[in-house]
Amino acid sequence: MNARVKNSIREHIVNRWLNGDARGLDDETDLQQIGVLDSFSTLDLVSFLDETFRVQIEPSDINNETFRTISTIANLVLEKLGPEGSQHRRT
Amino acid sequence: MNRLDALFAQWVARTPDQVAIDGGGELLTYAELDGLANRFARRFLAAGLHRGDRVGIHLPRSGRGVAAMIGAIRSGAVYVPLDPGSPPQRMRLIAQDCGLRHVVISPQLLASWAAAGVIDFIEHFFLSGDGAAPALPPLVRVHSWAELQATEAMPVPALGGSVDDLAYMLYTSGSTGVPKGVMLSHRNALAFVEWAAEVIALHSGDRVASVAPFHFDLSVFDLWSSLSRGASVVIVDEVTVLNGRRMLDRIHDNAISVWYSVPSALVLMLESGGLAERGAPSLRVVFFAGEVFPIKHLRRTMAAIAQARFFNLFGPTETNVCLAYELTGAPAADAPAIPIGRPSCGDDAFILDADGKDVAAGEIGELFVEGPTVMLGYWDGGRRTPARHPYPTGDMVARRTDGELMYHGRRDHMVKIHGYRVELGEVESALHAHELAQEAIVFALEQRLVAVIVPSDTTLSVLDVKRHCADRLPRYMIPADIRIVTQLPHTSSGKIDRVRTKAAIVEGDVNVLAPVRSVVD
Repeated sequence: MNARVKNSIREHIVNRWLNGDARGLDDETDLQQIGVLDSFSTLDLVSFLDETFRVQIEPSDINNETFRTISTIANLVLEKLGPEGSQHRRT
Repeated sequence: MNRLDALFAQWVARTPDQVAIDGGGELLTYAELDGLANRFARRFLAAGLHRGDRVGIHLPRSGRGVAAMIGAIRSGAVYVPLDPGSPPQRMRLIAQDCGLRHVVISPQLLASWAAAGVIDFIEHFFLSGDGAAPALPPLVRVHSWAELQATEAMPVPALGGSVDDLAYMLYTSGSTGVPKGVMLSHRNALAFVEWAAEVIALHSGDRVASVAPFHFDLSVFDLWSSLSRGASVVIVDEVTVLNGRRMLDRIHDNAISVWYSVPSALVLMLESGGLAERGAPSLRVVFFAGEVFPIKHLRRTMAAIAQARFFNLFGPTETNVCLAYELTGAPAADAPAIPIGRPSCGDDAFILDADGKDVAAGEIGELFVEGPTVMLGYWDGGRRTPARHPYPTGDMVARRTDGELMYHGRRDHMVKIHGYRVELGEVESALHAHELAQEAIVFALEQRLVAVIVPSDTTLSVLDVKRHCADRLPRYMIPADIRIVTQLPHTSSGKIDRVRTKAAIVEGDVNVLAPVRSVVD
């Protein structure tokens, strides 16, 4: 599950902000430091997560720690999905 | 006309217990702000600050930052707000350009400066909060927050300066890759601030939002109109402005009555803050500036805040606000645009063709501005290049038959991204600084920067370019869309063909812009 969530987030980031060029990007790359995540792209990513995983990201969930790397974003999604998570996932 | 600091001092005497700055966690009354400003001024002078020296203000928006600005003016210096979101490398360019020796800084930002090694020429840092200073070279003196608080709050001797003295400098994007310092006097600021305060009858009961960063000219209104009229400034901090709901909460919870921002901030409250449903009953005035407000969003915003007066303000940093338009009602749904208005603040506006002759009504020409808001000039590494008069704004406009001016884009390569000025040349310079960038060109397409790069080596990745830019440019200048291609089209004179490149991007023409074959996993 974790790997699927990460892959899906990685794919979105690569297509949306890296023009399909995944070179150099890993799950621990600091997305703020490289200028991928700012206020506008974060909002875009939130709506992507909402549509893809059917998770409701609250304003209080959005901060520098949760939206930092693919791993931290995936952790947030998994936390929101809970143990029953995979059943709610739209495919 | 009184100087900015003198206008503030009148209210310190009249209403010392009134809230001057409501910074969320930190409230400062007029008396407290005055005392803190005096402490800053004393420490600046004790640290060898000379009249006319520049003082950098580098911290998140707060009452402490405002106190440091007032303290700088009182000690005879010029304040230079520095973007807390900009990378240290760009700050170094600015600090070098204006010869900064004294900087008020948060402990966190000082740590990032120290880590990036950009502090070699700064002599005195004044910390804006508790926190340990990082290891610094031996001759750099750090003044702790505790030392500042222990400093005598008595006023420093009055300097008796003039309203034509340089008060502050704002650095804007420069086409050659080096940011430009715009020099503004007390008179420049007050021509706008007093005009705006008069038009909306700003009074001591008003609560004025501070939404714009201090290095952005919109903040001049927020701070100085309030402090010169005895009103309260409510800081809507850097984190809150990223979130529509929190931003609208701040308006509701703090009964903000006057708002000035780029349209994007209002649109964010519409789209994710529930503005249409919740309204904003405390607002009586909404100013917006910095970018075109899309008509459909403007209509929804005006419907949601129906009780407020709405103004579209216009002017580059070099002229403050020079044109204004008050909306008398929401524009029609099919209106192509709203006017940028008529000359305000005592300014005159001329619309001239390429030969410097007045154009006829309805024809497009360049906007030239003359009057009290026009800057003193550019700092330009201390050469102090005076402003041209009348000042050529680079903005193309046309005068309607009813006298209102309409905006028709830029004459040059300056664009606006979410209200921020971006010289495409500055972004291109940053790209050229990458050792693998052979050719590079940048455009703006619908509020996004697009960079097209020909690499000297196919190992260059989009991520490499992003990271490289993030080390040199503020966030809003990092291209959102980066294309790495085998070649760019050129004109017969050998220059990169901007027109064909842009067209190929829009049309997705891979014959003109063939992507570099990369190893995709």
